[in-house]
Amino acid sequence: MKTIINEQDRRNFVSQVETMLHDKLAKCYQCGKCSAGCPVNFEMDYTPNQIIKMTELGMQDPVLNSKTIWLCVSCNTCSTRCPKGFEVAGIMDVLREIATRKGIESKTEKEIQVFHKVFLDNVKSNGRIFELELVGKYRLKTKRLFRDMFLAPKMIEKGKLRMSGDKVSAINSIAKIFRDFE
Amino acid sequence: MSRIGVFVCWCGSNIAGTVDVKKLTEEAAKIPGVVEAVDYKYMCSDPGQNSLRNMIREKNLTGVVLAACSPHMHENTFRKAAVKEGLNPYFVEIANIREQVSWVHEDKERATYKAMDLLKMMVEKVKRDRAIEDVRVPLTKRALVIGGGISGMQAALDIASGGVEVILVEKEPSIGGRMIQLDETFPTLDCSSCIMTPKMVEVSQHPNIKLYTYSEVENVSGYIGNFNVKIKKMTKSVVEKDCTGCGDCWNACPMHKNVKSEFNINLSERTAIYVPFPQAVPLVPVIDRAACLHFKKGGKCVKCYEVCGPKCIDFTIQDEIIEEKVGAIVAATGFDLMDNSLYGEYGYGKYKDVISGLQFERLLSASGPTEGVIKRPSDGKTPQTIVFIQCVGSRDPEKGVPYCSKVCCMYTAKHAKLFSHKVHGSQSYVFYIDIRATGKGYEEFIRDTIEKDGVVYLRGRVSKIYQDRDKLIIRGADTLSGNQVEIAADMVVLATGVIPKKGSDKIAQMLGISYDKYGFFTESHPKLRPAESSTAGIYLAGMAQGPRDIPESVVSGSAAASKILGLFSKSEYEVEGTIAGVNKTTCVGCFYCQRVCAYSAISKEEIKDRNGNVIKVVANVNPGLCTGCGACVNACFSKSIDVKGYMDDQIYAEIRSLAI
Repeated sequence: MKTIINEQDRRNFVSQVETMLHDKLAKCYQCGKCSAGCPVNFEMDYTPNQIIKMTELGMQDPVLNSKTIWLCVSCNTCSTRCPKGFEVAGIMDVLREIATRKGIESKTEKEIQVFHKVFLDNVKSNGRIFELELVGKYRLKTKRLFRDMFLAPKMIEKGKLRMSGDKVSAINSIAKIFRDFE
Repeated sequence: MSRIGVFVCWCGSNIAGTVDVKKLTEEAAKIPGVVEAVDYKYMCSDPGQNSLRNMIREKNLTGVVLAACSPHMHENTFRKAAVKEGLNPYFVEIANIREQVSWVHEDKERATYKAMDLLKMMVEKVKRDRAIEDVRVPLTKRALVIGGGISGMQAALDIASGGVEVILVEKEPSIGGRMIQLDETFPTLDCSSCIMTPKMVEVSQHPNIKLYTYSEVENVSGYIGNFNVKIKKMTKSVVEKDCTGCGDCWNACPMHKNVKSEFNINLSERTAIYVPFPQAVPLVPVIDRAACLHFKKGGKCVKCYEVCGPKCIDFTIQDEIIEEKVGAIVAATGFDLMDNSLYGEYGYGKYKDVISGLQFERLLSASGPTEGVIKRPSDGKTPQTIVFIQCVGSRDPEKGVPYCSKVCCMYTAKHAKLFSHKVHGSQSYVFYIDIRATGKGYEEFIRDTIEKDGVVYLRGRVSKIYQDRDKLIIRGADTLSGNQVEIAADMVVLATGVIPKKGSDKIAQMLGISYDKYGFFTESHPKLRPAESSTAGIYLAGMAQGPRDIPESVVSGSAAASKILGLFSKSEYEVEGTIAGVNKTTCVGCFYCQRVCAYSAISKEEIKDRNGNVIKVVANVNPGLCTGCGACVNACFSKSIDVKGYMDDQIYAEIRSLAI
């Protein structure tokens, strides 16, 4: 793949990512520790360290359309192990958010993209996760209402799925976090 | 009649575990000429040495054979013990039954048999030993340093401060070498000329240093302690002692647009009478006769002479040959850069804005052609984007050289850093293969350049550079993301590989020191004798040995100096007596020996009759140069050369002893 690096575009993209990430892309020295320990690396089209380098070089299109940013499960193994203390998992979150705002729809990971939106909406309105609402909305949006339905009774029995949600008391603070980020 | 004492050492169980030392001792006592044979647990211990001394004294021995460890270990120990009893040290021989027998064999019976053979050989050898005296060579306590760069200057200063007279020869009109061309130095960013000029002045003012600039060493003969050096002092056409360095002459010179400045690497012009840079030491101009109108137009132009206050310009001064005697030499001839035009794809020479790292250094320098303002050569605009390409010629066994030039990673990072400091909002890209930053504070410097100054590093090489209007388009690869990339830049800086100074191979041949296939001088031992050349009395310093940075060059200069001061701390230089000797009666003067001698130790000697007529010419061995390697012995057709201590009759007797 050939990429023409446009200095201004590169700087704009890098500064957008760095502002949201609160970290410097140049910190990464491409050792590959993140990719070495990533549990979902085998499914990714670009390894996490490639995503960092491509972002630094301003390669917006391939980065925002990559499978990698959606496949990341935010397990934070990478961030925990990074010898330079770089927010590797964080950059995936930031890139997901930028892609969402730009209206870029992932061609391969549609369901994950839907889940991302539903999950954040859920957190935004409740301050925490209300599982029943989350599952319901996700199933409705992906039009697979009855998938995994048989798991519900067992989960209810074990107290994993509550029938009524409760908001955190400091919901205003949660709203502020979202406002700040947006 | 020989009276030989044999000592068999157990070396604890090292030898006794594999060799039957008792049996060996009994057998040794039966060899004709052996007076007594004894064995002992540790011959090198004080009691062991004492038993050796006692037997020499009591039995009036003429020779000693030790069956023990390698002579590398304790030959000296036992020789010293023998000397104390009045025996010539060369009457002590060692049969190596540890490294050559017990450590490498398992079968005790056969090992003992082999040990016996080695012992018998040594007994036959010692029977035929002659007393050998060590050779003492007188020392001329003066040193010559070739090259006035930082390592040569450091060597000269250290030797001179040790109270020894030094002759420093520099080819250029000023000392300072490559370092004075640099702007700031990594990783501390101290200004090169600020730390360099005081040192240069110190060199020129030191009472023990005799400085010859604009001069070349033309011939070196002799050997350690006694070198004769011919120095060609090229004419400056200026009477040095009268010149005040006022600058009237070069301001008056009409030839100010025709000659490219060597010091600024073609980025500016100089006059025909010139000093290479304002802080030159000595601050005395030279006339470049190839460019000067006076010499080109038959003496018409005398403008510089007219304006010269002290009238120190003299067009008639000729080159001069100066002869000096020295006892030791430091070769610090420095380095050059490879030819960038090897790589057509980078467009060096085709596009004005593709320059070398050293040229960029001049652009950064306050004393450079742009007075420290970064302007690109084509149109004088300040560049906003620069692409740096590393490993141009280095690490390229196909087109360039296979070795790493060691300094490029660091100076490229420094260039990118200084560029970001000087031009705010600018951007640098660096194409690299690996980053090699192994010095003190180097890695931190690189990371700082990337993280604080925002320099973008791309791991990969550049395939093509072409011009698009006033931009250079650089196409390369970023292997980390797996992409081909294209960057539009205003300027490209090539980190060109380092090669030995042009003509350093000639210097090496003149000095008789060895050099590798690239032309770098080789050390006597790469790890344990890094300051010494292959020839005694000649020491090495700086980049002439291979790529290195400034601190390493300074260290190597000091190392060479300390070796020389150590050499000069004795009244005479002592050489082992086991050197070659010529039988002048049988020598036919074919000088085949001279051709095979790696140390230039053999010269021609005329044998004259009483009327002074030359009867014949024979080979003569210089004891100061001979190492006793024996190459000449093999080459001699008339069997006229022998190495003392290893004479033919001894070797034959050793072999014959095995047949008995």
